[in-house]
Amino acid sequence: MSRLRSGFLILAILATATLGGCASIGVEPWERNLHARADMQPDQRDAAIDDHIYFSKEASSGGRGFAGGGCGCN
Amino acid sequence: MRASCLAISLLLFALSTGQAGAAAPTIESAAPAWSLLKSLTGKVVLVDFWASWCGPCLQSFPWMNDLQQKHADEGLVVVAVNLDQEPALAEAFLKKLPAKFRIEYDQSGNIARQFDVQAMPTSFLIDRSGRVRARHAGFKDKYREERERQIQNLLKESPP
Amino acid sequence: MQLKKPISGSLAAATCGLLGALPPAPVVAQEAPDWEIDTSLLYYGEDNGRVKDGSLMVSARRAFDEDRSLSLNLTVDSLTGSTPNGAVPANTVQTFTGPSGGDSYSIAPGEIPLDNTFLDTRVALSANWQQSLGEAMRWNVGLSSSDEYDYLHLGVNARLERDFNLRNTTVFVGAAYAQDDINPVGGTPVGLAPMFGEDDENEDDDDEGRNEKLSKDVMDVLIGVTQVLSRRSLLEVAYSYGKSDGYLTDPYKILSVVDPVTGFPVPGLADEVPYLYLYEKRPDSRAKQSLFAE
Repeated sequence: MSRLRSGFLILAILATATLGGCASIGVEPWERNLHARADMQPDQRDAAIDDHIYFSKEASSGGRGFAGGGCGCN
Repeated sequence: MRASCLAISLLLFALSTGQAGAAAPTIESAAPAWSLLKSLTGKVVLVDFWASWCGPCLQSFPWMNDLQQKHADEGLVVVAVNLDQEPALAEAFLKKLPAKFRIEYDQSGNIARQFDVQAMPTSFLIDRSGRVRARHAGFKDKYREERERQIQNLLKESPP
Repeated sequence: MQLKKPISGSLAAATCGLLGALPPAPVVAQEAPDWEIDTSLLYYGEDNGRVKDGSLMVSARRAFDEDRSLSLNLTVDSLTGSTPNGAVPANTVQTFTGPSGGDSYSIAPGEIPLDNTFLDTRVALSANWQQSLGEAMRWNVGLSSSDEYDYLHLGVNARLERDFNLRNTTVFVGAAYAQDDINPVGGTPVGLAPMFGEDDENEDDDDEGRNEKLSKDVMDVLIGVTQVLSRRSLLEVAYSYGKSDGYLTDPYKILSVVDPVTGFPVPGLADEVPYLYLYEKRPDSRAKQSLFAE
């Protein structure tokens, strides 16, 4: 149970540090041309296949859940 | 349990602060000092910031072409500022989708910074006396009517 | 005789849970008024006649307008090859029978005992609906299901994403719940009972037992953040916690009983199976945490 708590806490801190303190990290909205490229988009199929293979070989899975990145339009 | 409560409240706090991609329309502020705007005083100017890699920009072009044609006589000038880091890509885009309005290039992003562009695409409506009357972030089909109405309202205003 | 493995069923639960729909690519309704269909083929093979997996995935996506989209996925998986049955190698020939009885296979001295009598085909279907909530937030709900001869998985999942810092930062949270039913070939072995072979009296062989359906519940939660670092790079960090309750044992795996002094297998209780092997038994619940960064 204490491992769970510390894991949760670490991630919460990471998340809030990213949001609160890192407003200066990142790029301007018009500088996302490279992020808008097709090969820079998260690929759900690749993620599913990777997860499939890691589960089969190592019985480990989880944690993937990409959101964000990309062109940032609309 | 206390640690997880702390984590959850931190997260909720974080979710409630922070900026979204679009800001509410600014009402009545002076436009940035841009020589092009000065030369267009007396006209209603739609300044649109776009880039070739931005999907919604592709969709907004036919609409802006339409607007420029319909309202040019009434004094509407559409100026589309391209923010591509590689101007060649902008030209390729324009070959695919020709623009019937004025294109300006801002590769360094200086003009975008002056206008405080926060999303792609963003458009600004400037009235006949050079004041910014609306700021619109993003482009979706459902925004067209509302934005066109705003433009028509500004066109009805008399020149200074 | 075909034995089926529940491993790939657990796999379904693992992958369908929280991956959600295809990401919110900048698709505008007019550009993609129809269904966008993608297919992928996967071949995974290990050496020496071990596990081989062939998968076909078909996904279809339709954007109804800039804010809403539906995606459907179909996966057909075929697993074959030999896999360890859980017993340890010994300096003598070892003979095993399969859970369905009637099959018997021998392993040479010094070799890892591998069971190569299985062929497994799985069909999985999932659907996800994604919708925008305001300017910088999106939610996603989905259903997942997977079916094979001895394993059925049904699940729901949901996710929320929010953008910050001019969309340079995205935070996402998700949860998934699944209920899996396991119906092992040949009935459910009693945990830690000896393997007898054809006359396996330790199999649950009353009428209820042979067709006994076992089940497990899996609950997962996920939280993560994606941050654009520069014009060329992006960082994603995600943490997930999962809890499984129910029948977590692999009904086809066994344990060797070995003399601690000589290292030699202990004699068994039946003629068909010369050495003693016990059916595996795992605890009723399991908690899993994972941290992922990319």
